[in-house]
Amino acid sequence: MNHPYFNYYESSSLFHGSLLSIMGTRFDILFVIENKVTGEALWDKIQSELIRLDKLFNRFDPESEVSQINAGACLSPFIVSSEMWDILLSCKKYHQQTNGLFDITLQNFNKVLLDHKDKSIMFVDKDLRIDFGGYAKGYAIEKIKGILIENNVQNSFINFGNSSIFGLGKHPYGDCWSIGIEDPYQKGKMLGEYKLKDDAMSTSGNMPSNPKHIVNPFTGVYNEEKKMVSIITKDSVDAEVLSTSLMIAQIEKREEILHHFNTSEIFVYNL
Amino acid sequence: MKKSPSNKNDQLDLGLRKFIKDLGYIAGGSVLLASSPWLQSCTPEKLEEIKGQKARIALIGTGSRGVYHIHNLLNIPHAEIVALCDNYPPNLKTASDLCPKAKTYTDYKKMLESKDIDGVIISTPLNWHAPMVLDSLAAGKHTFCEKAMALTMDECKSIYDTYQKTDKVLYFGMQRLYDEKYVKALQMIHSGLIGDIVGMRCHWFRNNDWRRPVPSPELERKINWRLYKESSAGLMTELGSHQLEVSNWALKRIPDSVIGMGDIVFWKDSREVCDSISLTYHYKNNVKTTYETLISNKFNGMGEQVLGNKGTMELAKGQYFFEDAEPAPAILQLINQVESKAFSAVPIAGPSWVPEIETQHQANYVIKGPISINPGISTTGVDKDGSDELISAFCQASITGEKAKNIVEECYCSTILCLMGNQAIEQQKKIDFPEKYKIPYLNF
Ligand SMILES: NC(=O)c1ccc[n+]([C@@H]2O[C@H](COP(=O)([O-])OP(=O)(O)OC[C@H]3O[C@@H](n4cnc5c(N)ncnc54)[C@H](O)[C@@H]3O)[C@@H](O)[C@H]2O)c1
Repeated sequence: MNHPYFNYYESSSLFHGSLLSIMGTRFDILFVIENKVTGEALWDKIQSELIRLDKLFNRFDPESEVSQINAGACLSPFIVSSEMWDILLSCKKYHQQTNGLFDITLQNFNKVLLDHKDKSIMFVDKDLRIDFGGYAKGYAIEKIKGILIENNVQNSFINFGNSSIFGLGKHPYGDCWSIGIEDPYQKGKMLGEYKLKDDAMSTSGNMPSNPKHIVNPFTGVYNEEKKMVSIITKDSVDAEVLSTSLMIAQIEKREEILHHFNTSEIFVYNL
Repeated sequence: MKKSPSNKNDQLDLGLRKFIKDLGYIAGGSVLLASSPWLQSCTPEKLEEIKGQKARIALIGTGSRGVYHIHNLLNIPHAEIVALCDNYPPNLKTASDLCPKAKTYTDYKKMLESKDIDGVIISTPLNWHAPMVLDSLAAGKHTFCEKAMALTMDECKSIYDTYQKTDKVLYFGMQRLYDEKYVKALQMIHSGLIGDIVGMRCHWFRNNDWRRPVPSPELERKINWRLYKESSAGLMTELGSHQLEVSNWALKRIPDSVIGMGDIVFWKDSREVCDSISLTYHYKNNVKTTYETLISNKFNGMGEQVLGNKGTMELAKGQYFFEDAEPAPAILQLINQVESKAFSAVPIAGPSWVPEIETQHQANYVIKGPISINPGISTTGVDKDGSDELISAFCQASITGEKAKNIVEECYCSTILCLMGNQAIEQQKKIDFPEKYKIPYLNF
């Protein structure tokens, strides 16, 4: 159950849609649109897209494409959809750009063989699995951004579980979307404020309720630092990949990784 | 009013100013004030203008509510209690002990002759409201009167008509209009938070005889004025007036008719007013407000529920519930911002959000932090229910002479509706809002 919810705020022409449980988190979108009917029609498209992507990426759904890959690609080639093929190629590119820190296998992406001829994937290690946890939300935001632009929406705010945010255009009464970030270890303590204007923001980090969930693929060790990394870039997938990678990158490697990206801003908080 | 040189008196009423600030007020207009226009006359800027000045306040009726107001007045820097009037000596003494400098009277008309009074606060039994309000306005005093407006529809109408002609300020004791949790909640409702309003349920339950101890039998009707029709319209005007006002505020409409019943079910003493009432008010858009009150079972307490097709607001508790999945707090904050044409950073970013176990009908809070809830038991009043802000705003108005939008209208409509409810009970039939008493305010 996604628990869809929407409301249209007539006086400010603001549409709010939300899904409580999608891609393992919660999704909220605000967009300014001339009327409720048009808003609902657009919200329908957005919901369908999210549900479609969930079918691609959800590891806990045995019918999703990622589950089928995980079940079928072990030691024998498994042919994937053309969308999945493009995604896998981009994950490979990110793996290289981040010196191997961004890794959808969480251990060794080099054990994944991608065959360009028939667009198939094969794991050369029987214990290998893939997990799009650090990728899917950014990808979904890019898709939704496309839908919004296609439908002439100028101002919109997308929030995927607080960690992946996109501000399209601006707040109706501001010159951007202004975002604050709170210290997860000290409720109410603000660490900073960011202005998003056609910008994506991704945050990775540990929090008291979820202290270790980011693994270093080289060591297999979970990061347990009281640390948080926020990235602001134009592209949501770049933001997603960078925030995860920089969470575990050694300080001296950061520059090397960053030079592959058009990052606007990076913020590292040691809490 | 007089200028006061002393330093302490230069203080502003921080309570009222903070209250309006906390509501997200920004100078130069905001949606908040559109939803609660009576607050426009007591903005922080306007309070600043009267810094150091004091309204000279006189009270008529120093019984339990009058004394409650005195306690609030003593904390209001821009107020000074100069006169007290009550025709029951023990009550006058209690008040006089609290403010020994104030002149005392037993005849309110004598008191109204005084030139040294800016504003009059009336807290007497309902039958006295109309004569006292009219006399006070005629004497050129700014006037505050406790709710309900008056005992009869004719009296209400003559107060309303007089108000149209006077340049004096007139307030009524409808403190929900100044209660932060109500003001905020109504703004949220009007911005669409719970969708379309499809119904309203108001109730007030207590379990007591509604009597006060009487020192000697001939004082029964004076002390227990609430129980007799010559001085009281019973539970409807005493309790219902507050809640029907809220219902109209939420719906931005006035009901066109009422049906229902009322009886004495438990307190079978010599009283003349009902102890059990169930009414249904009908609005032209077919939304109905049910009104229930009973004073021999207190399980349900006091409450006003606004039912929307997307959620429910429990006004008295400052809580709301969504029918389905509920919006995240930071997103709601952002929506509220846009709705009130404000712009500032929203604390929303953070490491990934782990979904909580979904529980249906989880409470959301109108106000962050501690909230004071009126259990509805006291017949005098409780702290932090807006009464102090209301009185403070009245004192401010007694200095500036600026009328507060809609308070008279709100009180007029809710009182007429209470009296219609009593007619429906007595005549055992549906009562339409009488043409004669319609005023040009809101829609029907
Ligand atoms: N807004 C609220 O929540 C709220 C709460 C409680 C009471 N009230 C209202 O306050 C009013 C007073 O209620 P109360 O509980 O204080 O009653 P009360 O009986 O305690 O006090 C009324 C006082 O008025 C005095 N009085 C009566 N006739 C007078 C006259 N002709 N001249 C001078 N004094 C006179 C009485 O002697 C008494 O002291 C009522 O209208 C009631 O509805 C409002």
